[in-house]
Amino acid sequence: MKKSTILRATSLAVAASAVVALAGCAGGADAGTGSSGTLNVTLANHPWSDAVKKALPDFEKETGIKVDLNIYDDEQLAQLYNVKLNAASDELDVMMFKPLQDTLQMSTNKWLVDLSDDVTKDAGWDWQDFQESARSSVTVGDEVVGVPIATETAVLYYRKDLLAAAGLDVPKTMDELTAAVKKIHELNPDIYAFGARGEKSAAVTQFSSFLYSFGGDWVDKNGKAAVDSPEAIKAYEYLGGLIKDYGPPGSVDMNWPQVMGLMQQGLVAFYPEGSSQYNNAVDPSKSNIADQIGVAPIPSGSDGSRPYNITNFAIGINSGSKNQDNAWKFIQWATSKDNVLKFQQADVPGPRTSVWADPAGTSALPADLLKVIQTNGDIGVGYDRPVLIAVAAAREAVGTPLVTAIQGGDVADAAKTANAAFQDLLDKEK
Amino acid sequence: MTAATVTRANPVARKRRRSRAGDSRAYTIFRVVALVVVVVGLAFPIVWMILASLKSNIDIYNAAKTFSFVPTFDNYVTVFGEQSFLPFFWNSFVVGAGSTGLALALGLPAAYAMSRFTMRRSASTVLLARIIPAISLIVPWYFIFANLGLVGGYGAMILAHMFTSVPLIVWILISFFDGLPVDLEEAAQVDGLTPIGAFFRISLPLSAPGIATAAILAFIFSWNNFLFSLILSGSQTKTLPVAIMNFIGYASIDWGGLMAASTAITVPIIVMAVFFQKYVVSGLTAGATKG
Repeated sequence: MKKSTILRATSLAVAASAVVALAGCAGGADAGTGSSGTLNVTLANHPWSDAVKKALPDFEKETGIKVDLNIYDDEQLAQLYNVKLNAASDELDVMMFKPLQDTLQMSTNKWLVDLSDDVTKDAGWDWQDFQESARSSVTVGDEVVGVPIATETAVLYYRKDLLAAAGLDVPKTMDELTAAVKKIHELNPDIYAFGARGEKSAAVTQFSSFLYSFGGDWVDKNGKAAVDSPEAIKAYEYLGGLIKDYGPPGSVDMNWPQVMGLMQQGLVAFYPEGSSQYNNAVDPSKSNIADQIGVAPIPSGSDGSRPYNITNFAIGINSGSKNQDNAWKFIQWATSKDNVLKFQQADVPGPRTSVWADPAGTSALPADLLKVIQTNGDIGVGYDRPVLIAVAAAREAVGTPLVTAIQGGDVADAAKTANAAFQDLLDKEK
Repeated sequence: MTAATVTRANPVARKRRRSRAGDSRAYTIFRVVALVVVVVGLAFPIVWMILASLKSNIDIYNAAKTFSFVPTFDNYVTVFGEQSFLPFFWNSFVVGAGSTGLALALGLPAAYAMSRFTMRRSASTVLLARIIPAISLIVPWYFIFANLGLVGGYGAMILAHMFTSVPLIVWILISFFDGLPVDLEEAAQVDGLTPIGAFFRISLPLSAPGIATAAILAFIFSWNNFLFSLILSGSQTKTLPVAIMNFIGYASIDWGGLMAASTAITVPIIVMAVFFQKYVVSGLTAGATKG
């Protein structure tokens, strides 16, 4: 009896002192939360964020607002938002997000402040200067929930030297692409004449350009799932077939780091991928064949060349933030004409039409890339994945037939199953 | 004790066995091959990581340069220069040492009590903390810590990490104390020590191996913990597993930097493990066979 009393007393004392010590700890180290008046800006690890980080002292000097900048990898960011915003945190002020992945979910959960009035208030800042597809990607109903910051489009990377050696022109149609891949494969059996993402969910975005170019889409005119349409099946079979016959082994587990890695080693001849990968392909410190990389438009299918052309990131304000005025000041500064131009010169393709019309904004880009980006601006499709709240689950579903095609299975059957699963997800959100 | 240590400890026996039958040679060959397979298998990822940390990004993907390449320290310059990783080491150390120290302060007496007074139900309750998936705890925790104003400081992370280290420490030490004869404490009490005195002067020094095992495992758990640190740290208090993600970008991954950072993060743990190894081994065996 006595023993246990003493032990209990000791442990109580230890626990009490621990709590006191921790409270002391916290007081000292607590930095940059909402209560202190600094602006908390949470960004994804993206060239745009690096450019902002560099320019940040200007903003702090101009406005006297202190900014606490936190940069995370985008999967971490998604996890962070999920936890913090579900707990109605006031800790986050400015948040970077992926419009096509997050806008619907975040606005349904009322995590984002409605900026409709703010964006139209300042004529000098000029909301209308943002590309229409960029504006629509952050508009839900009549609410504007974010400001676009960077764009991306589908391109076809290819090896100039291999094409020249085979005496081929850059393929302009899907049939020409198949023929070129075949010929390069015959001339260079040691390399993979074609490479592309094959990992089910990751492949969806790059597959989208092929889907659209073959005349398909994720949903039909009535909003019903349409990934089992004859056009979609053709697209699955085409892209999956190229990967199956000419792609690297293990393609179904590959995302861009793997395929780009092979391309950098000179082992891939053609590779459809996002324009944001351009620097990886042509950086001599990462690539053996940096000077041999060409960029072409996605070839035309039965419905012409219809690449995706999207806003890959936007910034918005947390609806729980107590610092919303300063947050808007930051957004306005970061997306001003001057800064979008400045960031574009630092390799971040901007969402404003004015920077693309300005030679100062385009002179740094290589001619072939610039041409594709500008063409895609006119002909591109504004989404590269199904548009719904449950994007992640939908990507898993609609990516499956591509995997089946790569593995040589029954694509029509897989597309039917995928379509049913996708339709279920759509129905749940009605 | 394994067969290997027995043979090593007794050369005479080994000699006799080898000369007696042919199958002992087969056994030796098998043992060497098995050891090589296991060591190569386990060490390869670590060796690859260290080699990759000394390569340029262009060489990392080149299979021909797996073992022969021109080494560079650029990646380490990135880690400690451009990315200034030293503060993250400090943060991880503070959180690891703080949570382990406090968890020991709570867990040691708790384990002793649970062992000596057969409080099995309490012991199971403590274990519950490790059974619940961390992800289901983090939202309510974040809510509580945010309202207490603790998020972004060391305090919240230390408390969160304690949640996993206390059960670990308690359970390792319960079985350890179970193995310590009560007679020793009773003898000490006969000689005039109070129960507390017997605990501090007799049981505690005897359980040093168990404490070392529990402490090092708890420290490693904290050192590697990602989720709690991601949610609860601030820009000034990021720990290493969170900071290492700086090398993974939306459209680029700096494999060289990532591998250099991984190597730098692993080294302190390996040094610690080697240093405490004999305690860890005896501690784990004690726990495994008697628990």
